[in-house]
Amino acid sequence: MKRKEYAWAYLFISAPILGFLLFAFIPLSYSVYVSFTEYSGYQAPVFTGTANYVKLAMDDELFWKTLFNTFYSALSIPIGMAVALGIAMALNQKVRGIRFFRTMFFLPTISSVIALTLLWKWIFNDSYGLLNYLLELIGVQGPAWLSSETWAMPAMIIQGVWAGLGINMVLYLAALQGVPKSFHEAAEIDGASRWQRFVRITIPCISPTTLYILITATITALQDFPRFQIMTEGGPNYSTTTIVYYLFQNAFRYMSMGYASAMAWALGLLILAITLLNFWLSRRWVHYD
Amino acid sequence: MRLGKGKSLFAVTASLTLLAGLTACGGNSGKEPAASPNNTEKSAAESGASGSQAPAGETVKIKFAGWGDPSEKEVFTKLLKGFEEKNPTIKVEYLHIPADYVGKMNTILAGGDAPDVFYVPDGDFGRWVSQGLLHPIQDFVDASSLDTGDMWESGLLRYRYDGAVNGQGPLYALPKDIGPTVLYYNKDLFTKMNVPFPSADTPMTFEQLLDTAKKLTIEENGKVKQYGMGPIWWEGFVFGNGGAFLTDDRREFVGNGEAAVSALQFAADLANVHKVVPNAAALKDMNDSQMFQTGRLAMMITGRWMVPEFRKLGFDWDVAPLPVNKWAGWSGSVGIGIYGKTKHLEAAYKLVEYLGGPEGQKEQSLMGFAIPSFKSMAATDVFLQPGQKPEHAEVFIKAAENQVPGPWTNLPNAKWFDMLSQGLAPMWDGKKSAADVLNELKPKIDAAIKEGNPALFK
Repeated sequence: MKRKEYAWAYLFISAPILGFLLFAFIPLSYSVYVSFTEYSGYQAPVFTGTANYVKLAMDDELFWKTLFNTFYSALSIPIGMAVALGIAMALNQKVRGIRFFRTMFFLPTISSVIALTLLWKWIFNDSYGLLNYLLELIGVQGPAWLSSETWAMPAMIIQGVWAGLGINMVLYLAALQGVPKSFHEAAEIDGASRWQRFVRITIPCISPTTLYILITATITALQDFPRFQIMTEGGPNYSTTTIVYYLFQNAFRYMSMGYASAMAWALGLLILAITLLNFWLSRRWVHYD
Repeated sequence: MRLGKGKSLFAVTASLTLLAGLTACGGNSGKEPAASPNNTEKSAAESGASGSQAPAGETVKIKFAGWGDPSEKEVFTKLLKGFEEKNPTIKVEYLHIPADYVGKMNTILAGGDAPDVFYVPDGDFGRWVSQGLLHPIQDFVDASSLDTGDMWESGLLRYRYDGAVNGQGPLYALPKDIGPTVLYYNKDLFTKMNVPFPSADTPMTFEQLLDTAKKLTIEENGKVKQYGMGPIWWEGFVFGNGGAFLTDDRREFVGNGEAAVSALQFAADLANVHKVVPNAAALKDMNDSQMFQTGRLAMMITGRWMVPEFRKLGFDWDVAPLPVNKWAGWSGSVGIGIYGKTKHLEAAYKLVEYLGGPEGQKEQSLMGFAIPSFKSMAATDVFLQPGQKPEHAEVFIKAAENQVPGPWTNLPNAKWFDMLSQGLAPMWDGKKSAADVLNELKPKIDAAIKEGNPALFK
């Protein structure tokens, strides 16, 4: 009887396990192998030992440049989280039409990335764009955002902050509503100021959400590239080529699938390390209940 | 948030999987190099001779993949129907890929089960053909009734490959279309500002371009309200000035030569010194057609493919040769090729010939996107379309005769060209001279040519 139950149990869990083996584990392992070969993606891979990794570390300026760009673009995470929290707090009030505002702020999240980036290309247009128009109203001569080596990445960070706002805001809104009112009331009676209550009560209470957003946003940011492809094509002078964009070009444009796989693994391990570091650090600042 | 840990570990695994997945698609393709350029010719000849594909009377089914907006899809649906009527034993399944065509085809091709016939953009041709993904069609073309002498040479040569470089050797695809680049100008703005129209017969020189663009640029309170000229398609400027990017054997970058350098410096100065071109010159696709459409650009460079869109405009416009001293520049093209591992070679070739031949070309030309592959057809109303803009459609014919494939089509691995177009940024910004930028780029570009195209140096 018991034996039969086990058989059934294994049968039921075999589907996800098989799925994992077929669609995750085997391809993953294969890409480890490929990363040690010269492989165009179309013809048989040729084993080359650690050549790809050596090239990555020693011989490819662009790899390091794009890695730097990726971390630079990740500046959008802290900025985005702060802005999202601010908006979430504003939207956590009881005012008329609050649903309308919440919807408006969430709208970018459900819109197509392509449509949004095309829109932002116009916003950043140096002669006729909305951003430079607004800057001019306050007497500032805006730069040629996307075609300037200096300003292209800041422009992409601004766009990234805006694009990630909706989902982070909703998460923060939910977290804010979970902060017990009694804490605030007690603190208010004890004479705590608004700022003190925010720092001592709100921030610790929502810290699990902050950790969640931080980790998912980091992973997303380190893999970000379609919006760069559409808005700047990685330029000018590779100033907005992120590492996954460069990886993609190697894999599908330069016929270096093996090299791209090595890059993918280097990036994967880097993401893993950062995530573990985040968890380790989180013990100091994340409070559960 | 106790679930946090499990969830993000999942995210890590998922992200790794995603990355690995990119590479894994190619998993089963590598084992059998289907059609390496050297052995395909033979097999083409063999199967061409035996005709073993389909015994008479038996129906074969082939797949055909392409992209295009709804009007192109409609035309191709119609063309395929016509093809099936003509060839009752062949059924064609049309796979329309509306977005990210090249990305999707890369995956499909790596997977090893691609459509029998598919669009081959000229910029991707080198990569695909060097990987044995395309079947040579030279023998078929020679045996067919196609009059290649009546086709634009620059349209054909970009689909040739000799095992190391593009542009010579046997033919691997027929052009679906060829789109010369020309100068579009807003006639209403020219008339309003009393500037004579550019000649349709003689290209403007650089000086004439600068002069004309200055007259058409309006500055108010230090801000340009209207630009005389749109972003510079600099490759054509280099060609027009007698410059080149690669040596004839394609092994070396020569874009730092005198003619190329002075052409690029002139192009950069148009924006930085003379301020007759918007700042965004470095990026081709910076909304220039929208600026033209809203009357903020008097002249702009683009290809034939903008004609259907511009025909909807409320103002009068026309075309003139590229303002680059002489008839020169580059034309874009998309080819139609056959998958290297197709099981229905003959049926596939029949479709290629039909779409690339007179019938297919006629229908496609009527859409207005491109010039037909056949010179004799281009000279007829099918292409000239009197009564419709542009008035001087013959400019496209002269351009097609004189323009070459874009430099990015010159080698299978285009990394060298990406490095060039990225590396020009300090020049467009006016921070460095063209000479400095190009001399600094030369060793890097030479290294990329060598590393990316080993067959060239064997």
